[in-house]
Amino acid sequence: MAATRGPRPGALLAAALTLPGVVPQAVAQSVPDTGYIQFKYLDYRDWQPGARRMRVENPGLFVLKPLSESLVIEGSLVYDGMSGASPLYFNALSGASGEGVTDYRTAGDVRLTKYFDRFSIGVGVAYSHERDYISRAGSIEVRTWTADKNRTYAFGFAGSADRISADEGAVQGERKNVLDFLFGITQVLSPTSIVQSNITYSRGHGYFTDPYKLLDNRPDHRRILAWLTRYNEHFPSRDGTLQLAYRYIDDSFGADSNMLEVAWVQPLPHGWSVRPSLRYYTQKSAFFYFGPPVGSGLRPGEPYTADTRLSAFGAWTPGILVAKQLDDGWSVDLKLEYYEQRGSWRLGGDGSEGLLPFSARWIQVGVTKTF
Amino acid sequence: MAATHEITVDADDAEQARDAVDAAIADVLRIEAKYSRYRDDSVTTAINRAAGLREVAIDAETAALLRYADHCHALSRGHFDITSGVLRRAWDFRSASPRVPDAAEVEALRALVGWEHVQWSGEAVRLELHGMEIDFGGIGKEYAADRAATILQERGIAHALVNLGGDLRAVGGQQGGAPWRIGIRHPRRPASAVVASVDVSDGAIATSGDAERYFEKDGRRYCHLLDACTGMPVSAWQAISVAAPLAVVAGSCSTIAMLLESEAAAFLESQAVAWLGVDANGTLHGTLAQ
Repeated sequence: MAATRGPRPGALLAAALTLPGVVPQAVAQSVPDTGYIQFKYLDYRDWQPGARRMRVENPGLFVLKPLSESLVIEGSLVYDGMSGASPLYFNALSGASGEGVTDYRTAGDVRLTKYFDRFSIGVGVAYSHERDYISRAGSIEVRTWTADKNRTYAFGFAGSADRISADEGAVQGERKNVLDFLFGITQVLSPTSIVQSNITYSRGHGYFTDPYKLLDNRPDHRRILAWLTRYNEHFPSRDGTLQLAYRYIDDSFGADSNMLEVAWVQPLPHGWSVRPSLRYYTQKSAFFYFGPPVGSGLRPGEPYTADTRLSAFGAWTPGILVAKQLDDGWSVDLKLEYYEQRGSWRLGGDGSEGLLPFSARWIQVGVTKTF
Repeated sequence: MAATHEITVDADDAEQARDAVDAAIADVLRIEAKYSRYRDDSVTTAINRAAGLREVAIDAETAALLRYADHCHALSRGHFDITSGVLRRAWDFRSASPRVPDAAEVEALRALVGWEHVQWSGEAVRLELHGMEIDFGGIGKEYAADRAATILQERGIAHALVNLGGDLRAVGGQQGGAPWRIGIRHPRRPASAVVASVDVSDGAIATSGDAERYFEKDGRRYCHLLDACTGMPVSAWQAISVAAPLAVVAGSCSTIAMLLESEAAAFLESQAVAWLGVDANGTLHGTLAQ
């Protein structure tokens, strides 16, 4: 019988790849063998009803380069240009300056990772400089994995030392020091799925208060325990990947939170791919957060804040990332995210009242070249 | 699988290498036991015994192999069919005095051949007609070779060559950078001549030919590769070798190409694999025939 349509090239290979165990599984840890340089430009804007707030323009450069078969260097340089009004609390202003804030921040970091047969060590330094805030940080991370590379353990330690000086002169030379500890496990579950769980413990001591808020006095220490679990599963029949993430934060400030994110990566013909995502975040208020009117609940010497970011609220962030692979290792991507936060969206009710909804949007374009 | 099977490993840690090879061999034996039609307790025997009667529950691995056999059947336009084993009852290659069956015998058995008579899903399989048989022989050995290579890699082996009866899967080339050098035997003078030499670092080479099991009668060779559409052995090629990323692909391509006879070259070109064919007259064809 004559064939009306010839067999598709690679059809047998595609079919063979569905047989169990014919190729090694997704590997939890491997040395990068290609480098890349990436330029991203982020445009962030947030607002509350009736008023625009902050705008951040953030170009950044990210580089990863293998220096040898076992040594990799990564670095980034970002520049934030911020402008806009400092936050409005409620419909009526009370004491807040309402003046524009214009600020620039330059930050860079470098990390060097050396890979051995069964473990790797990474050392990093970071530096960030704004007009009134300088931060220096160092980190070390050790990873070790099983012989079959199905499981990786990560141990990390980081320390940062910040100096804060607010413009008006009321705050000069304040410091904040933070120590972070991380323990994580990555486990390959099957040829198409992988799970990762990390616990981070952070102890900070020093100046946490927001110097631009007239009435703001925060505790001088903060302990955060964060537990993040990620699960990725690839579906060969759809050629797509499901990405799930859940993070729980226990915060000594009282602003405990839960975050759940779901995303789907779908490659499309001609080198396109699309990643829609949805994130839900719900937070308790800090124990020293007091709602309107400003000043209620304030007791001299006791911690106090009216900052919306420490209120009780729920927030949704739908987003989409579209990417296109070009020739010669070039690729471009566009990411859009929209964020809205409301007291009434808090899980279980009990959101802080009297607050206007707060919204933000991110537009980011990126260009990457692998080499 | 009654041929020479060998696993070669280049590694610095002898104990790690031994553990890895033991694990790989254990899996090869597991697959042979699971799908051997000669064993009473194999999955294949259980399925064949229930032919025409009831369905048999299967696991994910068996379902995946059936799905792959389905692809091979479609790609070969029906010439490759894992239900064609019943034709062996007419073509007995092991007999001391083999004979060419008459057309009626072959037709009677062909009534029991047909992938369309196999009802299968992810959970169960049923052969519709009593007397039907399936046989994973055309896929099982190459599948085992790929799995062995994976097991070696997952246990830290970076340089290996798995050889299951002439179906080869290479990993990482030899230590030091040189590829594995594979010689393709001459189909008529296998002990003494090589028709081509192929260098493989990562990938597979499989050969399908008329010299594995055959008999000759009146100057004509009848080999074990039976075309499911005609019930007769194919004869256009002495042997076809295929190089592909996986042993399963190389093996299926070489077998399907043999069964497609005059359309072999077009088929192999459409699958974009490297190949070498020795036709009935001994002439070399294919991309590896330089």
